[in-house]
This record gives sequence, structure tokens and C-alpha cells, in this order.
Amino acid sequence: MSKNMDVEKNLLPPGDFGIWIIIYVELLTFGLFFIGYAFSRRANIEMFNTSQLMLNQTSGFINTLILVTSSYFVAKGVHIMQTMTQDNIKEANKKASQWITFAIICGIAFLFIKGAEFVHIFGEGITLSTNKFFMFYLLLTMFHFMHVGLGTVILFNIRQRTKTSGYTPDDTRGFESGASYWHMVDLLWIVLFPLVYIIR
Amino acid sequence: MTNRKRTLEYVWIILVILTIFAYLLGYLKIISTSLVAVLLVTTFIKGALVSDYFMGLKDVKMKYRFIPIIWLGVIILLIGVAYYLPI
Repeated sequence: MSKNMDVEKNLLPPGDFGIWIIIYVELLTFGLFFIGYAFSRRANIEMFNTSQLMLNQTSGFINTLILVTSSYFVAKGVHIMQTMTQDNIKEANKKASQWITFAIICGIAFLFIKGAEFVHIFGEGITLSTNKFFMFYLLLTMFHFMHVGLGTVILFNIRQRTKTSGYTPDDTRGFESGASYWHMVDLLWIVLFPLVYIIR
Repeated sequence: MTNRKRTLEYVWIILVILTIFAYLLGYLKIISTSLVAVLLVTTFIKGALVSDYFMGLKDVKMKYRFIPIIWLGVIILLIGVAYYLPI
């Protein structure tokens, strides 16, 4: 019985089915924005290239490293949860909690760096109506910023539950769901960074 | 178990290297028309690695594994089309 459950578990994505519906909808929404950006750029290449020079590529790069690393930390936490046994519940929760704490710190660092970038951009008098490039830039990055914020709150809640050894070998779905959401946030940024900051 | 732990480390290292590569293309201003294709391929590789190993979709049913991969492929392809298609 337990073996069958394990096999069945491995055939489905980690976490609750509901989180995957949310992830697919988010991917679709951002995907449309990415395509919209790429085709709008075709009609205004000079303006897009000039406007792009006002972005700070280094902060975009640092934020990419931060998100990729945070995703790694979360994956380590999930690995600990998935290999947990009845004998090491407390220890596994404690170890996973540490990895999630590192990921939360990364999430906060991302928000801080991106927030500073927004302050700079708005300080230059740039708004959504400045031009098409900045309309897409602000919509995409602010929308993504909110997802990082929500993801950080989710990770914080996961961490709180690990503090009370709330995850057991039979109940790790909540952990996996939050982790999957966080990886989606990372996946979106992996496309967003070269598209908006690098390609010209 | 140790293998999977090691795999996560290797995936993270590859992601960091490819991110540095993308940054240098922009920072050193050496991004050219042909290098955009390379950049798009490396972006696909990064996304696929996150999906397969960090999200843990490598060992699930094919249909679930390929939804994010197909999404990524279509998006990258269309970005390439928008970039390379003559105006």
C-alpha cells in the first residue's frame, strides 16, 4: 500500500494540484507579456534600445543570482522533506527550516535591490506612460516583484510550520506547494532578465 | 540520495555560470545578432534545469514534465522570431 502510494506520488508533480493550476495560469499570463514585449520591440527598436540603457544591468544580474540561489536553497529543503522518515522528523524539519531561512533572506534581498531600482527609475521621472519600453518594463517587473513578495510570505509560513516540526513523511504537500510557487517565480525571472536587460 | 544532493549542486553551478555569461554579454556590450540566439538557447537550458531538477518534474508523468518545458520553448521561440524576422 505504502509502496503504491510512493509510486503514485512520484508520477504527479510535487505539491497540491491547485498550486499547479495557479502556476500554469501565471506562466501563461507572463508568457503573453513576454511575447507582447518582444513584438512591440520590433516596431520600436531604436527607442527600446535607448530606453534599455537607463536600466542597471548589474542589479538585474545580482537579482538573477539571488533568485537562482534561493531556488537552490528551497530545493534542498524539499529534498530533506522528501527523504524524511518517522525517525528523524524533528531533525529534518530543523534542517529544512535552515534552508528556507536562507531562501527568505534571498527573497528580501531581491525585494530590496528591486525596490531601490524602482526608486531610481521613478526618481528620473519615468512612469508607465513614458514610452512602450517602460510600460512593459514597469508592468513586468512590478508584477514579478509582487510575486516575489507573496513567495517570501509563503516561505515564511512554511518556516513557521517547520519550527513546530509540522511536516511529517505523510504530510509534506504544503511545503512542496510553496516550493513549487517559488521555483515558478525564479523561472519567470530567468526569461525576464535576458529579455528586458540584455537583448538589444 | 547523495547523487540527487550532488545533482542540485551541479545544477546551481551551471545556472550561475550561464547567468554570468548572459550578464557579460550585456555588460561588455558584445551582444550581437548571432549571440542573441546563443543567449536564448542558454535561457532555455536554465529554465529547463529549474523545471526538471529544482521543481522536481524530471521524474513525474511526461505530460506534467513537459507543460513548463513546452511553455518555455514556445516563449523562447517567439522571442527569437520577433528578434530575427525581417521588418
